[in-house]
Formats: sequence, structure tokens, C-alpha cells
Amino acid sequence: MSKHDLLIIGAGLAGLRAAVEGVRQGLNVAVITKVHPVRSHSNAAQGGINAALTDRGDDWEDHALATIKGSDYLADQDAVEVMCREAGEAIIELENMGVIFSRDEEGKLGTRAFGGQKKARTYFVGAITGSALLHVLYEQSVKYNLHIYEEWFVTKLIKQDGKIAGAIAFDIKTGQMELITAKAVVLATGGAGRVFEPSTNALICTGDGLSLAMQVGAPLMDTEMIQYHPTTLAGNGILLSEAARGDGAYLINSEGDRFMEKYAPDYMELASRDVVSRAEQTEIDEGRGVDGCVYLDLRHLGKKFIEERLGYLQEVALEFRGIDLSESPIPIKPGMHYIMGGIKTDLNGATNIPGLYAAGECANVSVHGANRLGANSLLDTIVFGRRAAVDSVEYIKSAGSLNVDERELSKEKSRIQNILDRPKGMRSAELRNKMGTAMTKGIGVWRDKDSITEAITKMKNLRGQLPNVFIENKGKVFNTDLVSYLELEFMVDVAESICHGADKRLESRGAHFRTDMKSRNDSDWLKHTLVQFAGEELNTTTSDVTITDWQPTERVY
Amino acid sequence: MEAQIKVKRFNPENGAKPFFQDYSIDVSEDSTILDGLIKIREEQDGTLALRCSCRASICGSCSMKVNGSAKLVCKTRIKEVSPQGETVTVEPMSNFPVIKDLVTEMDSFWSKVKSIDPYVKTNFEPEAEHIASNESMTHLLGVMNCIMCGACVSECTALEVDSTFTGPAALAKAYRFVADPRDEDKKERLGKLNESSGVWDCSRCLACVEVCPKDVAPMERIVKMRDLAIEEGYTNTSGFRHTESFSDSIKKHGRLDETRLALESTGLLNISGLIDLAVIGIKSLFKGKIPPPLPHKPKEADKVTNIAKRLDSEESEE
Amino acid sequence: MKFAFYPGCVARGAAPELYKSTMLVVDKLGIELEEIEKAACTGAGVLQEKNQKLGDVLNIRTLALAEQMGLSIMTICSTCQGVISQANHRVVKDPEYLAEINKELEKEGLHYSGKTEVKHLLWILLEDIGIKSLQDMFNIDLSSFNFAPFYGCYLIRPSDALGITENPKRKHSLDIVIESTGASATDYAGKTRCCGFPILLINQKNSLKMVAKHTGDAKDEGADAMVTPCPLCHLNLDGYQAKARRQNNRGKADLPILHLPQLIGMAMGLDAKELGINKHLVSTANFIKSIKTKVS
Ligand SMILES: Cc1cc2nc3c(=O)[nH]c(=O)nc-3n(C[C@H](O)[C@H](O)[C@H](O)COP(=O)(O)OP(=O)(O)OC[C@H]3O[C@@H](n4cnc5c(N)ncnc54)[C@H](O)[C@@H]3O)c2cc1C
Ligand code: SF4
Ligand code: SF4
Ligand code: SF4
Ligand code: SF4
Ligand code: FES
Repeated sequence: MSKHDLLIIGAGLAGLRAAVEGVRQGLNVAVITKVHPVRSHSNAAQGGINAALTDRGDDWEDHALATIKGSDYLADQDAVEVMCREAGEAIIELENMGVIFSRDEEGKLGTRAFGGQKKARTYFVGAITGSALLHVLYEQSVKYNLHIYEEWFVTKLIKQDGKIAGAIAFDIKTGQMELITAKAVVLATGGAGRVFEPSTNALICTGDGLSLAMQVGAPLMDTEMIQYHPTTLAGNGILLSEAARGDGAYLINSEGDRFMEKYAPDYMELASRDVVSRAEQTEIDEGRGVDGCVYLDLRHLGKKFIEERLGYLQEVALEFRGIDLSESPIPIKPGMHYIMGGIKTDLNGATNIPGLYAAGECANVSVHGANRLGANSLLDTIVFGRRAAVDSVEYIKSAGSLNVDERELSKEKSRIQNILDRPKGMRSAELRNKMGTAMTKGIGVWRDKDSITEAITKMKNLRGQLPNVFIENKGKVFNTDLVSYLELEFMVDVAESICHGADKRLESRGAHFRTDMKSRNDSDWLKHTLVQFAGEELNTTTSDVTITDWQPTERVY
Repeated sequence: MEAQIKVKRFNPENGAKPFFQDYSIDVSEDSTILDGLIKIREEQDGTLALRCSCRASICGSCSMKVNGSAKLVCKTRIKEVSPQGETVTVEPMSNFPVIKDLVTEMDSFWSKVKSIDPYVKTNFEPEAEHIASNESMTHLLGVMNCIMCGACVSECTALEVDSTFTGPAALAKAYRFVADPRDEDKKERLGKLNESSGVWDCSRCLACVEVCPKDVAPMERIVKMRDLAIEEGYTNTSGFRHTESFSDSIKKHGRLDETRLALESTGLLNISGLIDLAVIGIKSLFKGKIPPPLPHKPKEADKVTNIAKRLDSEESEE
Repeated sequence: MKFAFYPGCVARGAAPELYKSTMLVVDKLGIELEEIEKAACTGAGVLQEKNQKLGDVLNIRTLALAEQMGLSIMTICSTCQGVISQANHRVVKDPEYLAEINKELEKEGLHYSGKTEVKHLLWILLEDIGIKSLQDMFNIDLSSFNFAPFYGCYLIRPSDALGITENPKRKHSLDIVIESTGASATDYAGKTRCCGFPILLINQKNSLKMVAKHTGDAKDEGADAMVTPCPLCHLNLDGYQAKARRQNNRGKADLPILHLPQLIGMAMGLDAKELGINKHLVSTANFIKSIKTKVS
């Protein structure tokens, strides 16, 4: 049994930022991650990270307003304020750590434009911003000699007397299972994209943290808010960053028209993602697409510009489609990308379970509300990752000593063994694919009562079939067959929660667009949805949205 | 289309030796090798172990040997390596111990990365950001593109014979700091890199440049650091003497003077090294193949010498 | 068929037998050569470490000299081939850079347009002579022999500079040529690796480990001799084989190392002594004997 003050589950940007802060605060910190830190999905972020730097005439309030408008007024405004106020400091700190941000002529940090905002306030590193940030935070983890459980898989959180007390995990390389106790735990497990098929997300984005939190009694908030990104490749769902449009790319339909003129005459291609995705889907549905896609056109930007600022996009286009972006437009379509919803936390990342925190994509503070602005997610991870660690310091001091019952470990060991011992049955991938397609169909860019109800029924069914899944690989060493199954169990919890959130919200707002209730309804639905386990069943309730200075108005781009 | 994939299998738990297993799968025209392997794992054989995550050549998980050389399998289409439906052979990377099937133990890789002090060192905390030119940052982007996939290490010919060699990935990472205008530890870094297992042990075989999926060109960074180390005054290495005397010889004579090169590289005080060369020398003499005592000059060698002089002064002006 | 000839200094210095055997063989092949007498050394990548531009100017100068002669270049050294190809690739990719270099060359009245082809003898056999016609010139059946190909780094990497994408056969060119003589090409891990020559004078221990590994492995796989298109590889694989094998417990130096034209010459029925096969440091006596007995 290993003991720590603070255990951070996840080594993406949120997790590593929290860990660095924990070490700086003098805590005994450990990070646990199912992949090597630099393999975490934060590396996929391409476009950049937002901040309003006051020394160059920008204003955090302007950033906040854009974020709130982008969220379709569902974000908690006190949380948005915290994020936008702290953004400047966060960026400077990242630069000081060594991030090689792009510069302007004076050698200061340079920006590019991003969606949903008039002001260019997105700081970036070519088209590999997430990777550049993640590698630098990993560098910091080396500098601080951080204790990292690399390639360990968390299966369960442990509570003692109603408070969090640690986690159970196994070393993927050896199969060795351990109880790791900690006075406080930060969940930083990232997104849940694989619940859908296809998705821009990596194969490891299976919503583990959301399910782990639910199982110890924490609620998920606004799970119905699923972001469909406007520019993804058909088939495998790989993303082409919004940076393309931020840097001037056009969207055109089969007739060659820049159709955003009709939908967002002011912001054009840089309207909020939900708006652009719906516009594209309308064009496609009305027959102005090609094979279910419209086009992203970068030709006018020129080869040199593309290669220097959007190099990774060019690489993806060439590798996966054989298209040179400087020569031809590339077919794209809306694709599942991000989950705005997540584990409900306060401004410091604390959940309703004492000692349990959440930060990053798995959490919902909520700063993204019904639609996240591009480049606000990286910011979210950095700001709230840090805050969670800071807040845990006091909590850890006050928390008494831990005395976890060792039987928790043997119980979990035998649960896993029982799974391994199941007789031959169906493979987990079969169920996962069924889940993914059903979710994309039911909780898509458009949805309605029927599609949601159908998805709920299917998820119930899927849950019923879980015990029929068998694990072909019985070994202990690198048993990815077992890991995939355990991830599927987590995903089913998340999928069902998403359906219930969608079912509950009787209006259209941001990414949640119901064709049977097309308008926003502020009088009844300026509310968060909350999904929580009540015994075996999921229970859905609501809570109020925090409005401070910005009164909801109609949202036009 | 039907694809034939031959996978090198190894399971440490059953005591059996590594062996090849053939799979046949139905894939689409634009499927990657990773798509194929995942399909095998999900539909035919749940015991197959491999690492993968992003499917988009950014996480660095999926380096494996494909038909003998290291590649990111998510970035390699089956059609590309098997245009006629030939069998594709997939093996774990070389120069790493195998954990299971296609999964390798990368501990040594990470400890080498850690050994170069992989973080920017500055002596002060600026009020705001450091001022740096966009050019210098764009230049670093070339190395920052490294996703730590290990493909270069798998192919490195120097590592193959000497596991202590720091290796292409960690050295490319070192360059990221040496060339970072914000880092204030450049001289110390170069000093350390100049020691054995550092920049001079690279055999300049280009294998890392060839396989890197991100165009990081580790060898070019290594070579650049040799030059920077010399500039910083680290000249007491046979590597330095080798380069110096080679360049001198070309500048003076247009062509190479092998005898002088050998003597100067070994260092005039390295007696055993000299004796060693002498042995080969005598043998060669006996076989009628000793290099002639005078360097061979091309016709109009002065032209070469002139160019060399001009460009040399140009360089020192920079 | 006529080429501008770039022998490289090793063929003229430490490996005169390469020069001589090349001359014998091209004569039979009907290739006419005109040496680029004013050409400087390529810099072998070492000069480039110190001053890349100087290296590029010298190599582009060689290409310009050939252009003046109106001929493509033939090389007989993997290193020369690779280094010239890399310089060529750099300027062809970047017209601005080419203009900058041409400015240097103007002082000597030279100009390079970017069009000179540079080919190693090995590729000429494959692409200009053709395997079929080559085989027509062979008189000796070597089918009972096993030859281990050793390419030399710079003849296969970096593939974009060497035109391997456009001419994929170049990747296996040495195997193909060996097999065209009727012999088998030994399959062993080392054939595309490094011989260790560039670090011979820097880190001899590692350099010799490479030599021991490749020659030892090839021998274990049944090779009768090793064939290389690179005289620098030859220097290391031959000159240091005895010491390398001894230091690394890989037995005695028992693998003769042949230059590519020596193999071709042998297959054509030329005399082993004429070809200089007896000039190598690893004894070739048994090998020469076995050729004589097996083929007659
Ligand atoms: C293609 C793409 C492009 C994007 N571009 C941008 C952009 O330009 N700007 C922007 O702001 N946002 C962008 N985003 C969103 C942003 O990248 C993510 O939301 C953010 O990086 C999430 O970071 P995280 O730290 O929360 O989680 P992650 O980086 O996903 O890390 C999750 C961590 O949790 C660990 N983990 C999970 N489950 C377990 C378990 N059971 N046991 C142990 N460890 C576990 C994983 O190993 C991993 O280390 C993009 C997203 C995608 C998919
Ligand atoms: S060039 Fe150097 S670092 Fe690169 S693979 Fe060869 S020996 Fe290794
Ligand atoms: S240098 Fe290239 S090959 Fe090596 S680890 Fe980095 S990305 Fe991979
Ligand atoms: S590259 Fe080598 S062989 Fe070729 S000329 Fe220069 S030193 Fe001589
Ligand atoms: S094999 Fe040896 S001599 Fe030949 S090119 Fe490579 S390092 Fe050079
Ligand atoms: S799966 Fe991420 S690099 Fe291949």
C-alpha cells in the first residue's frame, strides 16, 4: 500500500499542472496515468490557448463575455470570471516554463484568431499547441522529480467515512494491483469521446473519471452538451483545427459558396462551433454537400504560410487524404469532439465528496456551458488544475489520518478475476461499436424526443449485455483486452448519463439542439442538469445557473 | 480489400520463444496498419498487445517495425507498404526490450531524456514573457515536433553496439534547450554533451533522419551541437580533431590527406592509438595500398582553396 | 555510354585496387569515362559539420563542372554519392540557395542549373546497362556462392535525396546485382547498417563492434564474402576486421570484403589478381582458390 497526500489521476495538462502546483506547495504528490504522460490526449490540441493579456490592450471582460455568449448563457459566470482573469498569468507562466509560443515582430507573444471571438487572443505553437504545452509540463515534472505511476490503470476510488481515501489501480505492465491511499484525489482523466463513433478523440478518451466519480456519489452536470466540431474528416473523425479558419480558411459548399454568409454574416466561419456545425449539417441535408461533407478551403493562404503555421494540418491532410491544402479544398463534416459536461465542481475544483477534486475535460466548473469556445479548454485545464491543487492543501492539513480497510483491495481483485473467468462470449469491441453508433445517431447535431428515447433504450440494453462480454486474454502482462473491457464499463455509465441529460433538457441551447423544441427557453431552463446514481438507477435533477454581470440576450453571430 | 499481416508475438508468461503469427483481415483501401492491428485485436485475437492512442501521429505510442524499419503504424497505410497485397510484417521496435508482442519497455529511453536535464534553465523570473524572436521559436518548432515515439532509437546504429549512447531522441531534445535563446545553461549543457556517450558517438549513419515521422532530423541537431561545442571551446576530443584536420586538409589541398587525418584525430599523445594505426599502416604498405605521403591534389587546387578561404571568413563574420 | 567520372580520393589513395578494377570493368561494360579533374573532395559529411555552405559550394561546383562537360556523373563510393546527392537535393529544393551558391561559382566562371544526374556505378548497372545485358557479359557461374551485400549508409539514406522514391529498386540494388551473377545474396541484419568508419577515429571501440557484428553475422549466415560499393566501408570492414573480431570474441577475420567492381569483374571472368582481390588485408587466398575450384 502506497501513501500520498495528493493523488492525481491523469497526466494530461490538467493533471500535470495540478501536480506541479502540489509539489510547489510542499505536498507528497503522486500522479497516476494509464499511458505515459506525453501520450495523454492533451497532445492532440492543435490550435491554441486563449487569454486576454492586459498589457497589449486586451480585456478579460471581453474574453468573459465571448465565453458566456459562446456558452449560450449556460456557463456559471463566476467561474468564467475566474478563468478569464487568471488566463494572462497562466500563459506567462507557461512561457516561463519553456513553451515556445509563436511571437510577434517585437518578440512578444503573438496571437491568432479563433471562433466565437472578434479579438485575436489565441496563443499558439504552430499547429501543435497541446503537444508543445504537454511536453513542457512533462519537462517540469522531471524538474520537480514527480512521482508518476506510469501505465497504471485506476479501476475504483476508495472512500472512508464519506471522505475520499485513495484509489485502486493496477500496473498494466505486470498486472499487479495496489491500493494507493491519499488524503485528496484530483480526477483529471480527460474526455469521453469514444462513447461516440466516430470522434476526434484518442482511443484512450473513455470517460473513466466521470464514471469513477459517479460511483462514489458525485453528480455529472450538463452531460447533454456534446460539442460537434465543424471540421473533422469523414470516416475516422480526425480533426482539422479551427486554427485553419482562425488563420483565414473558408468553408464552401458543393456550389463553391461561402455559405456561412447566410448563417452568421458578421462572424462568418468564426461563429461558435455549434452554429457552424449546424450550418454545415443544414447545407449537407439540403443537398449542397458532397458525400456527406462540405469543404474547408485554405488555398488562398499559400503553401509557406500553411506549412509554418498549420504544418500539422497539412501533414494530416496529406497522410490521411492525400490532399495538399495549398492546392485543393478538403472535405470535412461536423464530428463529435468535446464534452462540455462533466463532474460538477466548485470554483476550486472540489466536488461534493470531501477530498475529491476534478479538473480539465472530465470536470464541469462550468465555464463552457452549452458550447465551448475553441482554445478555452486548454486554458480550463491549466487554470483549474492549479486551483484544485492549491485548494487541496488546506483540506489535506485538516483531514485526519487514513485507515483504509485492506479488504477493499481483495474485493476489487476478485471482481476483476471474476471478469477474467467469464466463459466465452461476445467481444467488448462489438458492444462498444454498437454504443458509439447509437449515441451518434441519438445524440447528434440534431436530436429530438424519439432519438433520445431510442438511445436510452439501447444503452439500457447494452448495460444488460456487459456480463456477456468475455476477456480472451487471461494473462497479467499488458492485458489490453481487459483494459478495453473496463473502459467499456466506464463508457456505458457515461453514455447513459449523456442520454438522461439530453432527455431532461426540454429546450434547445448551444450544442443541445432539439428539432422538436427549437428555441432557447430562459424562463424554465436557465438551469444545469445533474445526473447521479441513486442505487442502481440514474436520477436526473437540475440546479440554477450563476448569473453575475451578463444578462442572457439573444445570440447572434 | 484483404490484407495479410504477419505479427511477431511474444508472451513472457508462457515461456515460449518469440514467433510469427499470420493474420488475414478485411480492411478498406485507406486503412492504416494500425487500423488493421486494432481490427485483429478486436475481432480475431484479443491476446494481441500493442500501444496506440491518438490514431493521428501525435501521441507517439505506435512506433513499430514495419517490413524491417520503424514507423508510426497509424501514419502508414497498408496500401503504401503492400501495393500488391504482399504480406506486411510487423515487429516490435529494435534497441528496446520487448514486454509483450509489439509493446516495448521504454524505461531506458525516458531515463536518457531525463539525463539531459530536459527543462529550460533560467536564472531569473521575468515580469512577463521572455522576449525572443519568432524566428528562433519557429526554428525550435522543428525539434519540438518530436513526439518521443522512439522510432529513431529503434534504428540507431550507434545504440545497437553501445547502449550507453544518449541516442538521437534525447540528443534532439538536448538541442531544443541548447538552441533555446531563453536557456542560460548552454555552456554547461554542451560540456556535458561533449563527454563520452554524447554528441561525438553518433556515427552519422542518417538512420534517425530517415525514419523520423516528424522530420526532427536528430542527426542534424547532433552535428550542429558538435559545432556549437567547438565554438564554446570544447576542443579536447578526438572528434574535434577529426573534423578540424579533415576540413583543413580539404581547404588546403582540395582532397583528403588520410595519413594526416589519422594522426591528428588520434591525438599526437595517444601512443597506443598511434601504434594501432601503425600496424594497419605497415600491413597496408605490404599490400601496396598505403596512402601516398603527399595529399592528392585536384587540378587547379588553388581554386578550391580560394573558395574555402572566402567562405571561412564569411562564417567567422556571422 | 559516357559519364563524367568522380573517383573520390579513397579509390585513388588507400584503395587503388578499386580504381583499377573499376577501369577494367567499365571497359567491358562499354562505359567511357572522363574524369572531373578539377573536382574537390565532397567533404564526406565531416566538412559539412563545420561549414555546410562550403561543403555545398564544393559539391555544386563538381556538378557544375560536369554540366560544363555535358555529362552525368558516375561515382564509385557510397559516401561520395550520398554527399553529392544531398547537396544537389538541397539546392534543387531551394532555388534561392542555388542562386546564392551560383554567385560563388561565377567567380570561377561556372554555373549550375540543377540538372546534373549523379549515379553510383551500382545504379548505372541497374538502370543504364540493365540486368539482362549485364548477365550477357558474365562468363562464370557463381551460383554456389553466397555474397553478403553491404550498402553503406549514404547510398540508402536519406531516401528523398537519393531518388529512392522514384527508383525504388535502388533500395535493393546490391542484392539484385549480386543475384544477377547467379550467387545468393546473404540475408543478415547488418546490410543497411553503418560500418562504423565515421567514428573509427573518435570511438574505436564502438566502431569495431559494428565491424565485428556485421562481418560475424554475415559469416554466420553463410556468406563467402562481403561486397560493398563503398571504399570507406571497405577500409573499416577489411582493415579492422581482425582486431574487431578479436576484441569482440567473434572469432578470426575470415570474411573477405570485395569492392563492387571486383565482384562484377569476377563474374565476367577477369583474373582475381588483376582485379586486386589479393590486395585486401583479410586473406582472400582461400576464397580465390574456391572460386577456381568451384567454377572449373
Ligand atoms: C483533436 C483535438 C484538438 C483540440 N484542440 C484544442 C485547442 O486547440 N484548444 C483547446 O483549448 N482545446 C483543444 N482541445 C480540447 C483539449 O485538448 C482537451 O479538452 C484537454 O487537453 C483535456 O486535457 P485533460 O488534462 O483534461 O485530459 P487529457 O489530456 O485527456 O488527459 C487525461 C489523462 O487521464 C489519464 N487517465 C484517464 N483514465 C485513467 C484511468 N482509468 N487510470 C489512470 N489514468 C487515467 C490518461 O492517461 C491521461 O493522462 C482539442 C481536443 C481534441 C480531441
Ligand atoms: S545518425 Fe547518429 S544518432 Fe542518428 S541513428 Fe545514426 S548513429 Fe544514431
Ligand atoms: S526524433 Fe523523431 S523518431 Fe525520434 S522520437 Fe522524436 S519523433 Fe520519434
Ligand atoms: S567523400 Fe570520401 S572518398 Fe569521397 S572524395 Fe571525399 S574523402 Fe574521398
Ligand atoms: S557504411 Fe560506413 S563508410 Fe560507408 S557510408 Fe556508412 S558510415 Fe560511411
Ligand atoms: S497512435 Fe498516436 S502516434 Fe500512432
